[in-house]
Amino acid sequence: MKEILLIFIPVLVLVPPAVAAAFAMRKISSTAIEGMTRQPQIAQQLFMSMLVSMALVEALVIYCLVVALLLAGKV
Amino acid sequence: MTAATERLLPWIAIVNFALVAAVLVVLGRLATARTLTDVPDGRQNTAELVLDWFVDLSRRIHPGSVLLVAPFLATLFLLILFSNLLAILPIPLLRIPPTAYFSVPLGLALVSVLGVIALKAKIDGVRAALKHIVWPNPLQLVGEATHTLSLSLRLYGNIGGEYLVAVLAAQAAPWGIPMVIHSLGLIPATVQPIVFTLLTADFLAASAVGAGARHDNGPVARVPAPAHGNGVAVTEVR
Repeated sequence: MKEILLIFIPVLVLVPPAVAAAFAMRKISSTAIEGMTRQPQIAQQLFMSMLVSMALVEALVIYCLVVALLLAGKV
Repeated sequence: MTAATERLLPWIAIVNFALVAAVLVVLGRLATARTLTDVPDGRQNTAELVLDWFVDLSRRIHPGSVLLVAPFLATLFLLILFSNLLAILPIPLLRIPPTAYFSVPLGLALVSVLGVIALKAKIDGVRAALKHIVWPNPLQLVGEATHTLSLSLRLYGNIGGEYLVAVLAAQAAPWGIPMVIHSLGLIPATVQPIVFTLLTADFLAASAVGAGARHDNGPVARVPAPAHGNGVAVTEVR
């Protein structure tokens, strides 16, 4: 029983940041697509900025993924 | 992944990375071996298509040093892209992407961060580069270390995580499912090199390259930046 509960610790480390990042990415992508449809001339620039900001959000989740992987190796 | 593969993983990563580099060198030689013509055709067109984006990017950073910045960015991009795309090869040991082994992304991130400092030193002089590291605050050094960590962890997390998921799925369901995961993995495999290159370009732009020590004694830094790519400034003026 205890082992089964311990398995959930890395999951708990990883899931809340993933949910938060999903909301952040929703905001980023919807805003970027809105901007692209309003001004197709700068669509390329907006796409690049969108990629960079998504990468910055995603990096935080990946830190959590690394921590979760380390914990998964421990328990 | 068998135990022997796991033990040999560093060597596999090194050999695969060297293979990718060798293939890229040969491709680059082939694409640019002939004398270049004004009207590009075939191979020259391909090479120009690949390099165009980097030339545009580095022109936006500093118009005077495109020849220094563009090859740096293009090398990083092509190395990472081809390393990631190794995952779709159906050859047993060769299909382990070197970027899925943490040391390779760490090395690439170190090259990126140190290369930004080296480019700054080359363009603006060593003093300006050293000043950029410790001024306005010595905590900039911590920032450089964080850049290294975040760049390498991002690349490793995306590619290594995808590879791990593919391996686990292949153990659980050997047919069908791994193909779906591999095709989904193509998205991070192509987006991550773009992100890595864009962030390196951002660090270079943030180090205010071209605005340093040689600002006053040359016209290079005073060339106005062109309107960004698709003529936004022009349309606004009209």
